[in-house]
This record gives sequence, C-alpha cells and structure tokens, in this order.
Amino acid sequence: MRAGEGGSLLAAAAGLLIVASQAMAGQAPAPDITGSWMRQGFTVGVRPGGQANQSAPPPAPPPPLKPAYVKQWQDRLQAIREADAKGQPLATNAVGCLPDGMPGMMTAVFPLEILQSRGQITIIEEAYTQVRRILMDRPQKTPDDIEPGFFGHSVGRWEGDTLVVDTIGVKENVRYQNVPHSKDMRIGERMRLVAPDTLWNEITITDPEMLEKPWTFTFAYQRMKDYTLLEYICEDNREYSDDQGRQKIRVDPAQR
Amino acid sequence: MPRCTGMWAVAIVLAVSAPALAHHSFAVYDHTRTITLRGTVTKFQWTNPHGFIELDVAQNDGKVTHFTVELTSINMMQRVGWRSNMIKAGDQIQVVAAPLLSGEPVALGLEVVLADGKTMSLPVPAVGSFKRTETQE
Repeated sequence: MRAGEGGSLLAAAAGLLIVASQAMAGQAPAPDITGSWMRQGFTVGVRPGGQANQSAPPPAPPPPLKPAYVKQWQDRLQAIREADAKGQPLATNAVGCLPDGMPGMMTAVFPLEILQSRGQITIIEEAYTQVRRILMDRPQKTPDDIEPGFFGHSVGRWEGDTLVVDTIGVKENVRYQNVPHSKDMRIGERMRLVAPDTLWNEITITDPEMLEKPWTFTFAYQRMKDYTLLEYICEDNREYSDDQGRQKIRVDPAQR
Repeated sequence: MPRCTGMWAVAIVLAVSAPALAHHSFAVYDHTRTITLRGTVTKFQWTNPHGFIELDVAQNDGKVTHFTVELTSINMMQRVGWRSNMIKAGDQIQVVAAPLLSGEPVALGLEVVLADGKTMSLPVPAVGSFKRTETQE
C-alpha cells in the first residue's frame, strides 16, 4: 500500500467515525459545504464550472434605514457618483488595502473557501486573505465582552440542513454598500445547499438604532470543484487617499 | 425591439459589475479613448493589489518616455491564464491602455501583445465601458 492510499483510508475512516457518532447521537450528518465557492454572476475573473443552479435569489432591496440616516446614506452615494464623474473617485477602505469585513466579504468579489472542522467553520475570502471564524454550538457573547473588529464575533449551529450564524461586534467604520450602522448591528446568516453545488446565504441585518426593520438579502454561490484559493498580499499598493479623501495613484519616479 | 434589449443588457451588466472591485475605482482613467504603447519593458511587477508593467516608449523625436501600466489584481490575471513569466525586462511589447485623466504617464492596461506575438487581455471589470480608439503614443 502506498503512503497516499494509507492517508486516504485514514481520512475515510475518520469521516465514517464522524458520521457514525452523529448517527448515534440522533443527528443527520452536517451538509458538506467545504471547498471553494464563487458568487454566481459576480465573482470577477472566473469562468463558471460545474452545474449551476439556474434559479437566482431575489435582488437585494435597499436598506430600510430610518429617515435620519437615509439622507446620510444617499448623500454619500451622490458624492461617490459625482466624484466618479469628475474622474476623482473617493477613496474607500479598500484603497488602503483594508479588508471588506462583515458582511462585505460574503459578497465574494474574489472566491471564498469554506472549511468545516471540529467546533469551527472557517470562511476565507481570497482578496486580502480575509478570514472569519464561526464558533459552533456555543452561546453568543454580549457586546461588552468582545472588542469590535472587521469580522465581528460569530457563533453558529446546524438547524437541520441550514447553517445558522449570528455575528456581532463589527466596527462602525466597516460598512457594506456604504450603509451606516451602529455598534449594536447584528448579522444573521442562514446558509443552505439548494442544490449539491449551489449554496444560498440569506443574510438579515438588524440594527435598532439605524434600521426601521431587518434588512434581508440573499447571496448565491456556486461550488468551484477544481479551484484552490490563491494567495493575496498587498505587496506594493500605489493607490492612496489624499488630504481631501480622494483616491490617487503614486507615480513612482524610482520606476523610470 | 431587439436592439434596445441589447442596450439594456449592456447597461445592466455595467451596473452589476461596477461594485465588483476588490481594491479601487477605475474612474481615474479616461473612458473615452485608449492609447497604444509600443516599447521596451524595464520591469514586469507581479504583485497585489495590482500588477504593473514599466515600459520605455520611444517617441517620434527619439526621446524616450517612461510609462507605468497598471494591471488588475494578479489573482484575476492568473484566473484567465496570465503567468508571471510571460513578460520580462527587455521584451518588446505593445499595450492598449486607458490613460490617466491627470495626464501623468500612467495608463490602465486593457490588452497586451507579448514579445512572441500572443495577445493577452486584462480582466478589467466593466471593460466595455472603456472606448477603444487606439491612438499611437
């Protein structure tokens, strides 16, 4: 027996043990969502492979912001449009090579990788090598017990075939679609395989301070069977934000 | 009217792909014209968040102007077939690019004819929004 075969047999045996222990505990085995995923029709620079589920989730509605914050949001969008039209775009967090954070990284501009391990599900977004950890079958902490970050603090559990995740503790300057949020924003996710290679993630954002009601939208991902995530390091970022918050590119005399 | 349907399809694709930027807006580049740069590579930089081609371009008067050609993320390039060894210093190449609106000698690469004659496109999001005029620089 070759060494590789031994490893495969061990892995298969370990898998059987997990399935057996779940069966003995009266649980159905957790769906296998481990692997690489692209957002259907959205992830840039990839060619779809495999069998896509042709049905698509409904488009995202606008955020149901309270009136005081609707104007703030619309003013920001208008400023972005005007700056783009002038060829002087406003700098975003990403211009400084900061990651999208939550829930922005789940838009999967670059591919995602999901890893299921004991007690934890890990999601990696290729751009900026963003990593979030979903701690399984644990109670959520209180906001006072965690420090705010880009990805927040996520706990999850399987409800039948659906992975249910709760995330709190996202920094207020980490914004999805420029939508403002308070420190009390909570992100709920319900991930489910709607076909063997199609994963839907229904995201519901609640924020008692800024939203009138929960904001729900769904992302659909397609499995990338032969794709391994590439590394991504901001090794030479020539873009920067000038003193008026505009995106500029450093024209480097050293390169001439 | 099929013609109108086609135009709407283009508009929708642009609207959807506009936010799909991992790093920055391309609004700093001229969307109304392209330039064609023929020159000698001084450096092919395989880095994120963007790759770069540094290029010496000989002008008609014999002077050499240095251009920096910004590329997309190398991850996107790799996914459509680019490799880090496709260009090296000293190569004679041709680049179709959208120039920086500010007039500085920087341009966004849209298409490259490599030293061996092979043409490679850059996977620039909403690439159809850049009007190709291909004036020689």
